[in-house]
Amino acid sequence: MRNFYIPPVTHVIPLTTIRRERVLPVPGAVTVRVNEKVQASHVVAEAETVPRHFFLDIVRGLGVSQQNVGRYIVRREGDRVDAGEVIAGPVGIARRTIRAPANGRIITISRGRVLFEARGELFALRAGFPGVVIATDGTRSVTIEATGALIQAVWGNGKQDYGVMRMVGEGPADRLKTDQLDVNLRSAVLVAGICDHPAPLHQATELSVRGVILGGLASDLIPVAQRLPYSIVVLEGFGERPINAPTFHLLSSNIGREVAIDGQQPRPYQLQRPEVIIPLPATRDIELPDEVIPLKLGVRVRVVRAPHQGEVGAVQSIIDQAVEYPSGIRAMSAKIELAGGNIVAVPVANLEVLQ
Amino acid sequence: MNTVLDADALLAVDVGTVNTRASLFDVVDGRYRLIATGRAPSTAGPPLFDISESVRMSLEKIQSITGRPLMDESDSLIIPVTNEGAGVDVFVSTTSAGPKVRTVLVGLMPGVSLQSVRRLASSAFLEIVGEIGLTDRRRDAERIDLIIAARPDLIIVAGGTDGGAVDSVLQMVETVGLAANLLPGGRQTRIVFAGNRHLGASVMEYFGERLPVTMTPNVRPSLRQEDLAPARMHLAEVIAEVRSSRVAGFDELETWSRGFLLPTADAFGRVIRYLSNIYGPDKGVLGIDLGASQTTVAAAFDGALRITVNSDLGMGASLPGLLKHGEIADITRWLPVEVPEYRVRDYICNKALQPGTVPAETEELYIEYALAREVIRLALGLARSEWPAGKDSSTLMLLPPLEPIVVSGGVLARAPRPAHALLTILDALQPTGISTLVLDPHNLTPALGVAAGPLPVLPVQVLESGSYASLGTVVAPVGSARFGRQILRVKLEREADGEDMTGEIRMGQLVVLPLAQGEKARLTLRPERGIDVGFGGPGQAGALRVAGGAIGLIIDARGRPIFMPKDPDRRRELNQKWLWDIGAME
Repeated sequence: MRNFYIPPVTHVIPLTTIRRERVLPVPGAVTVRVNEKVQASHVVAEAETVPRHFFLDIVRGLGVSQQNVGRYIVRREGDRVDAGEVIAGPVGIARRTIRAPANGRIITISRGRVLFEARGELFALRAGFPGVVIATDGTRSVTIEATGALIQAVWGNGKQDYGVMRMVGEGPADRLKTDQLDVNLRSAVLVAGICDHPAPLHQATELSVRGVILGGLASDLIPVAQRLPYSIVVLEGFGERPINAPTFHLLSSNIGREVAIDGQQPRPYQLQRPEVIIPLPATRDIELPDEVIPLKLGVRVRVVRAPHQGEVGAVQSIIDQAVEYPSGIRAMSAKIELAGGNIVAVPVANLEVLQ
Repeated sequence: MNTVLDADALLAVDVGTVNTRASLFDVVDGRYRLIATGRAPSTAGPPLFDISESVRMSLEKIQSITGRPLMDESDSLIIPVTNEGAGVDVFVSTTSAGPKVRTVLVGLMPGVSLQSVRRLASSAFLEIVGEIGLTDRRRDAERIDLIIAARPDLIIVAGGTDGGAVDSVLQMVETVGLAANLLPGGRQTRIVFAGNRHLGASVMEYFGERLPVTMTPNVRPSLRQEDLAPARMHLAEVIAEVRSSRVAGFDELETWSRGFLLPTADAFGRVIRYLSNIYGPDKGVLGIDLGASQTTVAAAFDGALRITVNSDLGMGASLPGLLKHGEIADITRWLPVEVPEYRVRDYICNKALQPGTVPAETEELYIEYALAREVIRLALGLARSEWPAGKDSSTLMLLPPLEPIVVSGGVLARAPRPAHALLTILDALQPTGISTLVLDPHNLTPALGVAAGPLPVLPVQVLESGSYASLGTVVAPVGSARFGRQILRVKLEREADGEDMTGEIRMGQLVVLPLAQGEKARLTLRPERGIDVGFGGPGQAGALRVAGGAIGLIIDARGRPIFMPKDPDRRRELNQKWLWDIGAME
């Protein structure tokens, strides 16, 4: 019988093997070799971003007829040219010419028009965390592997950085406040419970922090977070959502270590999520984390909706019949033994596996 | 082949973003009936990224309910039915799961071909990432840059009536062809040409052999005529091709269904059009499918279908799209309890991250249904701008008379009580006159739409079989009157034994008269002067035969549009009262 319950998996693992593929948005050049050690800020691949195009009207520019224009074009399709190089001409006493408007290449020549592609800006793809290159396709993707602690998040502001992790406040539910932020936190990656005001986020900018790891972020701060120059990851969700106990314990026990914070925005139909990687040495081979963990007896889960939102427990049983909740909704459910010993029924749809 | 009546057993699977549903149909007593349904969480996204797992889970549920084996030892579908009665004869499928198809629209004139291509695109689950028209003031090179930056999976080109514009169409085609060939990394985009059909050979020449091009009949054969239906069918096939290359398990679904695979919205629209043909030209038929990643509004008037798929309005990942179209206050006005606006905003963002979750607490349920009201209301508003003249929002502020109104979607189907679904629909749509509200609790509509291909008789017989849940007949008087003033006298004479009822309805009331599912009655309505109940004008009285439903006969005299007090406390009290009146609260 097939297992009908395959919830999403969130990894909160003290020591594991972390393997991540870094991919250029468009093909370019990989700048590292297999087995090469890389640091978080290491550029592992580069590519030209979206180029700009120009139609150069040779007929009009040189004042020649369409029949004769071919003899004045001195470059061919596919030629690479530097800015200012002659593409067509000279013509007449004035020795009129058409020159390349930028460094680029000639795409097509048709009916007296040249389609010219100006080179785009260079995009640098960084490793994001220290590790070893284990594979590359040579043009677009690089796979990096490391050992360490892995903490996956639910949301990020699209930025990535690396720095020493510092705790702000006392506990997993503490609000991030401006008076907690001083020069001792300069260039650090901060861990805080909840943020519901823009002021501390702006003050963190003043301190040039590298990143902020939060349990919950007020949703009206999303536009603010997206404009900040540093990385933000949200572990639990939006609103008053403290960091869950196992995650807070793992973060607390690694304060003072360097961490990689990757705030990539989660997208539907994409496995990679925002995350925090704490590089740690391993004395033995460690397996990669499981991506698929069916819901069954003993599996550790996190409740993602009220009531019990954020609480962690273990599956005690899957209930045969749908359970009715205070809202009146009936849902397939599991009995969960929460960390405090309470046993509660939770809709299976409101659970995720915490590995 | 099933020996009884020489009929085929049909299995339909709809793969949605959050749920995958299977429905088994077979012949019982000489007519097609729904035998069983199975639902499983969709596995199109993480962690499995393969729809076949949830398809098999839903089939296993049907197997366990019916005892009829549907899959063999290798987990393949048994087709056709064996002598032992295992398997099915026909498999059909619909899908709305998977990433949106990134699409650039290209046309000539804003009010002509560009408008038609926009309408064509709005009838499918597409993400419009760019639009190019002849009058957009962009140079050719800028159009190329736009297409390259948009990284489209699909480019839909229209322009020119049949035998009309040539040069401007071909110039646009040349630009699109150049851009499509320049997409970085050998990314291949598909092209649909739905313009001047006399240019077929030239268009193919411009696009060359490298680009996959689909030629469809012109969406604008003449300036005054728009014909989207043939192009829509071709577009559905192209979308299926894009999906199959991006969603694991889709190939298998295509193989099993042998061509009977449609986008969910298209199949949904087919049923609405069919109902319009049955119900006749007096009223339109409306269908609303409230999904997690999209909301489909299908309206048919005298057999002509208008379908709109809103991919930024849904109850899951696309929920934050709600805030692009409206304010938080538009949502909180439907809450019967006090919930701060920031908490509603947090709820929207969290639900978008975890679209499959369900509300276990009462406050969250209220938020969920307030969101559903606004999603439907906004989707309907956007759809109505494309309805025919006289029915559209620019010429008619209120909804035109509709019969029936069919609604589906997980949030409505799984409502704790039918009354929750009914009140949500009433508040969101605010129908006028007399309508029947029908809920599709098993999400059968897409299945019936696609099943009409191989087995045309199946949807007809299943629609008549009672697999849909009538929520009730709604009478919504229209006209202005002081709150509390008598506006309507009602007489309900039951055909079966039972007490007849008479009564007076006052402005502002929401009244439910008990009329059980399947029960028939004669309803006489005598509106006061200035009040229209749909009998040909204000003050016109009339009688009709009505059928009961899960709720009964509903008289919604709350006004059109529904009057909402500005004072938040009074508004919440009113929302609570309506929940009581309709039977959603004990």
